Amino acid sequence: MGLIELSQGFKIYNEGYENEVRALNGVSLSIDRGEFVSIIGTSGSGKSTMMNILGCLDVLTHGEYVLDGENVTDMRDGRLSRIRNREVGFVFQGFNLIESLTAYENVELPLVYQGVSARLRREMAESALERVGIMERADHHPSELSGGQQQRVAIARAISTNPPIIMADEPTGALDSKTGDRVLELMHGLHGTGSTIILITHNNELAETASRIVRISDGQIVEDRRRVPA
Amino acid sequence: MNLTQGFKMAAKSLLANKVRSVLTMLGIIIGIAAVMSLVSVVQGFTNVQKEYYERMGTNRVNVYAYSYMSGGGDYSDEIAAYCETLSEYALGVSPNTQIWVDGVRYGTANTRNNSQLGSPPIYLGNEQFAVCNAFTLAEGRDLSYTDVKSYNQVVVIGAKLKEYLFSFKDAIGETITIGSVKFTVVGVYEPKDTSENEWYSYDYMCVIPQSMSRILNSNQPISQYVIKAKSSENTKIIIDLMTQYLERIIDTNTGSFYVYSDQQWIDETEAQYKIYSLVGGGIAGISLLVGGIGIMNIMLVTVRERTHEIGIRKAIGGARRSILAQFLIEAAVVCGTGGIIGIIVGFLGTVVAGKLILKTLLLPSAVMTIFAAAFSVFLGLIFGMYPAVKASGLQPVDALRAD
Repeated sequence: MGLIELSQGFKIYNEGYENEVRALNGVSLSIDRGEFVSIIGTSGSGKSTMMNILGCLDVLTHGEYVLDGENVTDMRDGRLSRIRNREVGFVFQGFNLIESLTAYENVELPLVYQGVSARLRREMAESALERVGIMERADHHPSELSGGQQQRVAIARAISTNPPIIMADEPTGALDSKTGDRVLELMHGLHGTGSTIILITHNNELAETASRIVRISDGQIVEDRRRVPA
Repeated sequence: MNLTQGFKMAAKSLLANKVRSVLTMLGIIIGIAAVMSLVSVVQGFTNVQKEYYERMGTNRVNVYAYSYMSGGGDYSDEIAAYCETLSEYALGVSPNTQIWVDGVRYGTANTRNNSQLGSPPIYLGNEQFAVCNAFTLAEGRDLSYTDVKSYNQVVVIGAKLKEYLFSFKDAIGETITIGSVKFTVVGVYEPKDTSENEWYSYDYMCVIPQSMSRILNSNQPISQYVIKAKSSENTKIIIDLMTQYLERIIDTNTGSFYVYSDQQWIDETEAQYKIYSLVGGGIAGISLLVGGIGIMNIMLVTVRERTHEIGIRKAIGGARRSILAQFLIEAAVVCGTGGIIGIIVGFLGTVVAGKLILKTLLLPSAVMTIFAAAFSVFLGLIFGMYPAVKASGLQPVDALRAD
């Protein structure tokens, strides 16, 4: 059984009304531990909804979703937030760092929510900052960091709890190509250390760096192919 | 999320918007400070009143009886005689009429020269004056029945008046001048006053035989009396009996009378002060309510401003109750800080008002202080609840979408 098991997933807005929208229209997807999967699609194809569902930020209208052996389909807020905290690390296009907190505090926050002790928290947060090479900027606020640096802080935050899955939504979208490449390198590095990476993008070139490419169109999977390593 | 973290975050967000935080707190500060000083001052007033009466002893019945008819209207003999029949309930009866004279002198010492003292109170009394008004003799003797009957020009003086006139010399047997009449000092009372308000201190008074009304008070009828009851139950009995008796002997077309106990007076003033407390407290309470609504308003704005942040927090694992706790703690910290500042202002206000109005050091009670602190935090929790629930109930995906 895979790490991610989505079967017959529907996300429907205004169901039964004239303006019904099927963001996900019966999607089934299985992802194994340690895979590097890119989910590609144009804007409005349903790929963002896909990520929200896979990351437990949103719930299915119909269907079933099992994450790491736990059925999260009808889970309530308390347990769902625990799953988000322990199973998934998010990297967003817009970084989504909290402006009032320093880089270090941003990275520490998921550990705070996890209830980790202060000493262990420091150790884990610092190690995460070191892995992305931004330790020397730990005391800066997001507004004092460049886009690339902010995204590295965001990646540090995503990996600070050592979650099995890293979910990245257009992580290079707001960066110039050189910085984007470095962020992508980081993602591949994380994959190399055993993380499962799910990369959501509209960029074919970016998607092609993954070992498996899933293409979504109109809320359905239209292509699912494994790339033979060159 | 633990509490320390919550407080750190709350402090951070408060300091990030200093002006806004202070303005938000203002309602709470004013409310708490107003409640504390108002209630303290009223309480102080009540206590001063109570002490005043307590110094005079408990279980006293005051009697006013007078007639408008010229030449008549002195009921002292009748009242004294009637009180004889009340000996089962009463310890004593004495005239208690105060007259004013132009200073008291001994040698070069003259109370007129002391602007605060001026003319000390002179009481017309009898041998039971001390019993009725809870004075004890420090030296010499008290007034006697004979002094009254024989028109003896003798006087018993208060401790402070003795000190003022004689310093450390012996006063007994010396002659002082009250108004323009010479009196021999036969006794000195123990001091009973601790108040700084010397102008109405009992320790500056003189007690002279009631019959001296003839030469010092143009033979005006004596109209005020005090009866000392044996117990508070007896106080009520005496009031009833005395009222019935005076109804019989005084024609209300030509005269008037009034019988009441100190306790009635205390109860009445206390009831009055309670009303002041309630009205003042109510107004201050409205200020607190307005302050609380201000807190709620600002917390709602904060939630809206920070919807995106809430989304991020939820995405990285912040549970509903963590978000709820964060916003509740923030509201409680705003109100609590406002409450503490309010308590400080309330303390200052109470001390200043105490000095100005009551001329004593007045401090708010500990119970009220603790209550004020707890109440301000409680206020924060109540008015912070709605915004906090609103914040914590957001779907992460919706909150993340907000800018």
